[in-house]
Amino acid sequence: MIVNNRCFNVCFIFRPFRVPILTGCHSSIPLWWASLCDKKILNQPLEKPDFFRVAELFSLKDLFDARVHLGHKKGCRHRLMEPYLYGCRLDHDIIDLDQTMEHLQLALNFTAHIAYRGGIILFVSRRRQFGHLVETTAKDCGEYAHTRYWQGGLLTNANIQYGPGVRLPDLIIFLSTLNNVFQQHVGIRDAAKMNIPTVGVVDSNCNPSLVTYPVPGNDDTPAAVELYCRLFKMTINRAKDRRKQMELLHGLSADARERRHV
Amino acid sequence: MAGLCRVVSGLQYRVRLSSRFLRSSFSSDSGPAEGPVSGFAAAFDQQEVLRRETQSSAAGPKASSSGPELSFAALLRRSPLIQMGPAKDAVVVGRVFRVVRDDLYIDFGGKFHCVCQRPAGADGLQPGSRVRLRLQDMELTARFLGASTDTTLLEAQAVLLGPKEAGSGGEHHQND
Repeated sequence: MIVNNRCFNVCFIFRPFRVPILTGCHSSIPLWWASLCDKKILNQPLEKPDFFRVAELFSLKDLFDARVHLGHKKGCRHRLMEPYLYGCRLDHDIIDLDQTMEHLQLALNFTAHIAYRGGIILFVSRRRQFGHLVETTAKDCGEYAHTRYWQGGLLTNANIQYGPGVRLPDLIIFLSTLNNVFQQHVGIRDAAKMNIPTVGVVDSNCNPSLVTYPVPGNDDTPAAVELYCRLFKMTINRAKDRRKQMELLHGLSADARERRHV
Repeated sequence: MAGLCRVVSGLQYRVRLSSRFLRSSFSSDSGPAEGPVSGFAAAFDQQEVLRRETQSSAAGPKASSSGPELSFAALLRRSPLIQMGPAKDAVVVGRVFRVVRDDLYIDFGGKFHCVCQRPAGADGLQPGSRVRLRLQDMELTARFLGASTDTTLLEAQAVLLGPKEAGSGGEHHQND
């Protein structure tokens, strides 16, 4: 899938591509060869639409069995979620799973590309029912999670709150875009301000407009949230394993492998 | 015409109709069509196709419904939630997944769980036990004065009827 050009161009401004430092490398790889390999590693996934084959990870039946199509009542509906709804049955909104399939595939593909390039992924959810699940998911795929109170300047004031030169996440995944008082999570607006792409599961009472890759679906049932966590974990692990394979294939040594900026 | 006037199933009607016309006109079996089929010939072809489809679907309903090509619309229409109809006073089977002192958190296959008080004598209701419920509402919401959207409690409301005895199937059952 051609990744969203806007996000990558902007990432390029803030985190320029650097040639990997070959310190401590015992084999004599010339610098030009290393940079060529690196370019090949980075550009090869962009040639195929579904390089990481994320479409195989889930099916319509899986989404249906996890009750992803169940939305809130008609009175809770957000006006901007109406295009994603299949209909309303006895006052309960039903989310269109055909659209959810496409959006989820786009979101997983984007997550895989970010993980492949060594980006930092932050899982955010303010649902206390799923806080532990989200934290363990992040731990299992080697990424980060924030399921507690979101301080105002976490992203926008990071240099002052956490010291200069802090690296911000390259992708933020919202397992629920609402906070505890049913307002939009501050992180969505702040991520948009800091040009950080977001993936968010939007229920029928959420506002999908600022989310880069919205995934219309249920965010209240444990079965659905467990499915999302499992899918994201599998995607990220798959992408990281693929990166290790590609590096071995193109002959870069283990010492030169470090967390790269793109 | 007596055969046409009798109220029979569509399958038998179509067979009789096509067989009558086969006997009366000899132009239907002319092999592949030379040009665009028109009028009666098109109708006849369509009826043949429909007849074959009904025969094959009557023969093997399981093959098509368990196949991977079931669309979201078909899945939704056949799901127990839709087949149940209005949630008011529907009797369902749920599963207790958490117990906090006297409160039982019961999941019955809807979007939300419901919370019921443990009845007086039923100490055998542990996490994992199945219970019968009479649903009142799938989601407790209300529009308060001055609000633009409903306020939701993120819970369903149901009345606990009692534990589900093993072997008493045939109740309306929701899958997790």
